[in-house]
Amino acid sequence: MSLTKKRGRGMAASWYGISRTAAMDQAGAWAEIDDGGTAKVVTGVTEIGEGILTVLAQVAAEELGVKPELVHIGDNDTSRSPEAAHAGATRQTYMIGNAVAMACRDSKDKLFNEIAKEWNVEKETLQAHDGEIWANGTNYKMPMSEAIHICKKKYGVIPVGSGNYTAHNTPLDPVDGSGSPWQAYVFGGQVAEVEVDTATGEVQILGIWACHDVGKAINPKGVEGQIEGGVVQAVGQALMEDYQQVEGHTTTGSFAKYILPTSLDVPKVTTKIVEDPDPLSPLGAKGIGEPAMVPTCPAIMNAIYDAVGVRIQSLPATPEKILRALDEKKRKSNGMAIN
Amino acid sequence: MHKLTINLEVNGRKINKEVNSHYRLLDFLREDLDLTGSKEGCGAGECGTCSVFVDGKLVKSCLMPVAKASGKKIETVEHQGTPDNLSTLQKAFFLTGASQCGFCIPGMVMAATSTLRNNPKAGIEEIKEEMGGNICRCTGYQKIFDAVELARDVISGKLDPKVLEEYSKPEASYLGANVKRIDAPGKVTGRLKYAADMKMTNMLHMQVFRSSRPHAKIKKLDLSKAKAVSGVEAIVTCDDVPGIDNFGVFIEDQPVLAKERVRYVGEAIAAVAADTLEAAKEAVGKIEIEYEDLPALYDPEEALKDEILVHEHYKTNLVKHIPIRKGNVEEGFAKADLIVEEKFATQPVEHAYLEPMAGLSYVDSDGSLVIVSPSQNITHHRHMMSKIMDLPINKVRFIMSPVGGGFGGKEDMIYQGMLALCAMKTRLPVRYVMTREEDITSTAKRHPSRTNYKIGITKDGKITAVQIKMIADGGAYGCSTEGVMRKAAILGAGPYQIDNLQMDTVGVYTNNTPSGAFRSFGALQTEFATESILDICAEKLKMDPFELRRKNMFVAGDLTHTKQELNSASIGTVLNELESLASWEKGTPNSRGASRKDLNSNDNRDSCFLGARLNEKSEASGGVK
Repeated sequence: MSLTKKRGRGMAASWYGISRTAAMDQAGAWAEIDDGGTAKVVTGVTEIGEGILTVLAQVAAEELGVKPELVHIGDNDTSRSPEAAHAGATRQTYMIGNAVAMACRDSKDKLFNEIAKEWNVEKETLQAHDGEIWANGTNYKMPMSEAIHICKKKYGVIPVGSGNYTAHNTPLDPVDGSGSPWQAYVFGGQVAEVEVDTATGEVQILGIWACHDVGKAINPKGVEGQIEGGVVQAVGQALMEDYQQVEGHTTTGSFAKYILPTSLDVPKVTTKIVEDPDPLSPLGAKGIGEPAMVPTCPAIMNAIYDAVGVRIQSLPATPEKILRALDEKKRKSNGMAIN
Repeated sequence: MHKLTINLEVNGRKINKEVNSHYRLLDFLREDLDLTGSKEGCGAGECGTCSVFVDGKLVKSCLMPVAKASGKKIETVEHQGTPDNLSTLQKAFFLTGASQCGFCIPGMVMAATSTLRNNPKAGIEEIKEEMGGNICRCTGYQKIFDAVELARDVISGKLDPKVLEEYSKPEASYLGANVKRIDAPGKVTGRLKYAADMKMTNMLHMQVFRSSRPHAKIKKLDLSKAKAVSGVEAIVTCDDVPGIDNFGVFIEDQPVLAKERVRYVGEAIAAVAADTLEAAKEAVGKIEIEYEDLPALYDPEEALKDEILVHEHYKTNLVKHIPIRKGNVEEGFAKADLIVEEKFATQPVEHAYLEPMAGLSYVDSDGSLVIVSPSQNITHHRHMMSKIMDLPINKVRFIMSPVGGGFGGKEDMIYQGMLALCAMKTRLPVRYVMTREEDITSTAKRHPSRTNYKIGITKDGKITAVQIKMIADGGAYGCSTEGVMRKAAILGAGPYQIDNLQMDTVGVYTNNTPSGAFRSFGALQTEFATESILDICAEKLKMDPFELRRKNMFVAGDLTHTKQELNSASIGTVLNELESLASWEKGTPNSRGASRKDLNSNDNRDSCFLGARLNEKSEASGGVK
């Protein structure tokens, strides 16, 4: 390794609130166990990349007892689906996941009412999983496709369920800010390892260790993907991204001028998921979208200080800023030597 | 429009066709052949979403004039596999969860295919280098690298192809299982249609005339020459708004199109709908305007003096101030052994979702106004639109198209109002797709911030008082500024039990590009300051940074900064797990990098240096680190 390249490490912790801030948050959903033992879920949600459709398919599969690949999730359309509000605020798994879980429980309950009659068993003995329905303590068992057929054709019931999940967040007092802005909080922490070239001022981020509480992780690989993506967005904020204007005119109006992290800039990210389930909601899941990127920038700045003894307090830590800070540090220590 | 005839082969099909001579290969593929798997993320060869093969070589189709493609063999993502018959690489992308929003993914699949065609044994460094021309904003690239390495090992025979089909089916529960993403097959094959990929019969194209001034009165707007352009169906301005022309998430301060004055460079003034994109662009070029420049504000602290007003009728440039008070900071500082005061700043940041803003609007046969767009908040948008268009809610229908990355940038309603006006005026479908430049210049950014921080702490590391003031530039319109200030204030002091806290966050109007919602929504700015100053304190106290945080962290039952009792607080567990995950060597953060023993573990990537990859190649590695 070159003599000018210095390594160091830093850490930072963080916390975040889940769902809308300091305001009641609510989401609605419909679910229906459908022909062939499939399921239909309709809710105001569309994938923005975080994997919510897969999470909702898992939730519906679990709650209804069908396979996730047999769950169809309807489009987000203000005239055709129940309101589930916005795709943001780290609220989709928490708000819409729980709304879908509740809608599915309602739908399954309606199916179970009829199947309990059919088998003449107590409803509480019924269970469904992976496309099959059975009554505990008996030999009764059949595929979900048959159960839905019986439910509709023999008893005339379409098991349509609806669900609504509410987070009772309260506004802040306008004078002292007191209030309960969220009912669920997550906590996180990251360690960064960097290499700083004292000749060029360039910083490379080699490793990030990220540990985040997400509540119950519905899809751990999806959580990892959110953490890795969040870390890399923060790497951009920490080192290179800077939207600049001169008297209101953009000077960074293209990707040639506005620099983003590429495959060559990104650290290896090692993730550890902590599951502290939310006690107030059916699924126990919380969220990870936004919190993933909160501790990254300070962990990197702390690591730069560890490596070369300069602290960047104005983001981004460009090579120019690092060199200027190193120069100033050198002048100060020379000055001290003379005195 | 000039035309020329080209002969070429696309995905094995011979094509002889007359095309617009100004078309790029990308326009031809998307507009004439409806091969919309190739996306336009930047139009300048920077992002790679439009990557295709030309005679077997990876090419950014936005940089190739269509005439140059004549006589060539073109291969697009549509030729790589179908959702039920994925290529090896596509299967690997599916298995590793490499696609998130999916907008960059067709280009990534092409670049990865090229990488492994060029060198089936490419190591990780070569893979990174070969894919360095393709930007992904969602994944952090890690799962994409995993996919390419996996595909490589299957192709080379090192791994059984069966690994691509596997996924560990859960025994008892689907919750907690790595179920493969159900949207991935449509994304890795380029089949999923984003708003800009959609077309309707008789569809018009919209273009926008924007302000070139940061702050000015509009003295005269002359549309006569623009209206005369052949193909123009409608031009809309603020005068066409039938309802209440003021909208916003927290403060209703924004007109659909500038009214009497402009407040930032890039603000929309008029929108043209025409039968071709070219006619719409030509008409925008023929709109004539006279401005009377007004003094402008670019600095939020300057703006707080209220000598110049961005919104003259508000009498102030303050958008929102959020105070949080707990205990008594003066008493807290008096108890401190150490007081540290520092300043921190963060820059404005662009969301850089790979899918530029785009939307489609039409009036349905039942008279409903329909807007299809990658909006992150259609519920609120329909409320705003119903006021703007003076329509009952049931006549406003928003459909959320797949979002090619949002990160908060698609939460504010930005162009949907103009689209709706054009659709209502023409009663024809209208589509609008921003260029990357237009998107960067006119849409909201992460709030730049300046923070003054004062912290008091005892010798043994207990925080006694914290005083924080953050000023953020909200730009020309309110957008999500109020919410961002709130989150910055509530979370800013970090997950720590602090008896005495004085926190103020202040969002201010200026004539800069508006600031809006962005992933981490204010908390990123203030928590950056907190976590930096804690390390400064740890050095002065000669204390390990984990220890300092443990001394102050929340535990269940504590009251937060807003005096809410926490039903649970996992920060202690998180810190313990993190310390062991990173094999952290305890010590004071006093620039001890050179003497640390915990550096250089295998959890790091290799450092980049000139010629790094040549080393790897000479080892002819099969992809080991």
